[in-house]
Amino acid sequence: MGQTVLVCDDAIFMRTMITDILSQAGYDIVGEAESGAQAVQRYRDLRPDLVTMDIVMPDMGGIEAVREIVKHDPDAKILMCSAMGQQALVVEAIQAGAKDFVVKPFQPTRVLEAVQRVLG
Amino acid sequence: MDLARYAALFVAESREHLRACNTLLIAWEREPAAAEPVSGLFRAMHSIKGMAATMGHAQVADVAHHAESLLDAIRGGRVAVRPEYLDLLFRAVDTLEDGIEAAATGKPATEANSEALLRALEVAAAGVVAREPAPVAGAEPARGALLDVEVVVRPGAPLRGARAALALRRVEALGAVSRVTPATPDFERDDFDGRFRFRLRTGAAPREVDAALRSAGDIANVAIDIASEDTALGTAAFRQVRVDVARLDAMTKLAGELVVSRNRLLDLLSQHPDGALRRTAEAMGRQVGELQAELLVARMTPVAELFDRFPRVVRDLARDLGRRVRLETEGGDIEVDRAVLEELGDPLVHLVRNAIDHGIEPPAARVAAGKPPEGRLRLVAARERNSVVIRVLDDGRGIDRARVLQKAREAGVAEPGLDTLGDDQLLRMLARGGLSTATAVSGVSGRGVGVDVVVTRLRALGGTVELTSRSGEGTAFTLRVPLTLAIVSALLVRVGGERYAVPLAYVAETVDYEGGRRAGAAADEVLEVRGRAIPTVHLARLFAVPGAGAIRRPAVVLQVGERRAAMVVDALEGQQDIVVEPFAPPVGTPPWFGGATILADGQPALILDAAALA
Repeated sequence: MGQTVLVCDDAIFMRTMITDILSQAGYDIVGEAESGAQAVQRYRDLRPDLVTMDIVMPDMGGIEAVREIVKHDPDAKILMCSAMGQQALVVEAIQAGAKDFVVKPFQPTRVLEAVQRVLG
Repeated sequence: MDLARYAALFVAESREHLRACNTLLIAWEREPAAAEPVSGLFRAMHSIKGMAATMGHAQVADVAHHAESLLDAIRGGRVAVRPEYLDLLFRAVDTLEDGIEAAATGKPATEANSEALLRALEVAAAGVVAREPAPVAGAEPARGALLDVEVVVRPGAPLRGARAALALRRVEALGAVSRVTPATPDFERDDFDGRFRFRLRTGAAPREVDAALRSAGDIANVAIDIASEDTALGTAAFRQVRVDVARLDAMTKLAGELVVSRNRLLDLLSQHPDGALRRTAEAMGRQVGELQAELLVARMTPVAELFDRFPRVVRDLARDLGRRVRLETEGGDIEVDRAVLEELGDPLVHLVRNAIDHGIEPPAARVAAGKPPEGRLRLVAARERNSVVIRVLDDGRGIDRARVLQKAREAGVAEPGLDTLGDDQLLRMLARGGLSTATAVSGVSGRGVGVDVVVTRLRALGGTVELTSRSGEGTAFTLRVPLTLAIVSALLVRVGGERYAVPLAYVAETVDYEGGRRAGAAADEVLEVRGRAIPTVHLARLFAVPGAGAIRRPAVVLQVGERRAAMVVDALEGQQDIVVEPFAPPVGTPPWFGGATILADGQPALILDAAALA
């Protein structure tokens, strides 16, 4: 059985893409969220092994969601998904407790490397 | 995904960790209350897990993870140490070794046997709560080493500042970080070039720091120095860089070829009228020599890397064979060329096995002989001129000479009239393949198994083996190897139309030969050198080539350990540094040749094996 993943992004396109990359690699996508608030809720319900988190989302952004999740589970493994030019936000997310990051546009190998680093 | 680049690093580092694990487990076994082995093991397992998972060796990572969980439980006092847990951890180390060796060769690991191990580890880790409070273990030491670290994020990686922040975050788990330059807010600047430095106070080994930083991904380079307590950052005298061994090998080979070209050039120019040209070439020649010397230094590896394998080997063997053995090592800091060290592994394993199997007696027999029940096995390394000497000494029963002699007579290899065996003769008997593998010899106190292998391997290295053994007191094998295989100073000799190279390390002197004398009617020819009769070989006769046949000819006196032999040749042709080329002799090649080389004038020559001739 693969490790479980919660995918958080407000764009369906991005969620689909991440889901494809990860499920092809044998990970088990157990849930999706399209806002920060939803991400926090789903995390509590699903306790996934990994969360992929977009930075900019409506109704509580990704960084805020990271803080909330880490507050309840300091071992939470969160992978930030960012665009170029969001360096300051990524650094903030890391300081908030995110374990790694990938940069859009996604290259499947780099996404998987980051996921393996986080889960290792 | 270009993980292949990291594969060699992964294998090398994992092997290091596993060697450390074995040492730690043995220390722990001796002193179950000690806390350090547990923390060390935990860290090693953690590192292996991280690396293996990154490399996609899920099974290795899984075993390391389970071992880590058990260690964590023990360290946290949730589970009490039990001997069977130690055995479990030894098994885990073995399984990891298999997995990593399989990864190294690209073969699939054996999946079946790790399943049971994983379950056993899981059960152990979930075990009952310790009754007595466990000693406080695993807490990060307040002090520890102070390291100056410089990290370079891979150029071209996206968001290098964020990557740097991540690396810093990873390393914060290992200790206290200070003096980060540039300051972390500057990581976010557009002109941040991905290079940052910091100081780390940690109980973790530099390689663990390296692994933690690299686990952040996209890290191009990590340089770690031991900082003195108050040097300013960046002024430390030492810088270390990890270099792939294959690259070092390639550079050594190139430097070797450069030496050959230099020799050739100097040879061509030796009669050249242009003095300035000659001097420039000579200066360049010296520089090439220095370059090569530097490279050879870079290849030097402490003997400890080899010795560290043995605590585990000795423990397991002693256990299997019902012996009690204390292993002592000395001179682990002596350095030898990595290639030499690698070649020494098998011979040493053979000798250590023999020492425990046939040398050191069972405890009861030792006590009956008035010895302590625990046998003593020593591995000692020492530097002697241009060679390194490694001794394997045991305080066992010694080799049964009478038995070996009897076996030799039965095999028809003992000279008639021989009634005692000196140490040299004993070694020669044992080194005869047919005799040495006779189980009857090894079954009694005679010792033979594998000695032929040891002697053959050492000869191939240009080394020698000596043996001393005393009945009831013990046996010592002395292995002598050159410091490096890459380059050898040699004396060139001519026989018939051919030239041969003799490693200078084995040349005692050269003398004039004007016909030797025969010690007796049937005996071999000997040459008197300073009152000592030395057995004499005529190379022309030995090689069945027409020699010059002059009355007055030079002879080279070879010395290998205590043995000497005079080798009559047609002419001496000077000294030269030669590069030893790998030599795969065709079947049936006489044993007198130890390698081949290209001489300064571009012609090939065979290298004579002094040990086979003396």
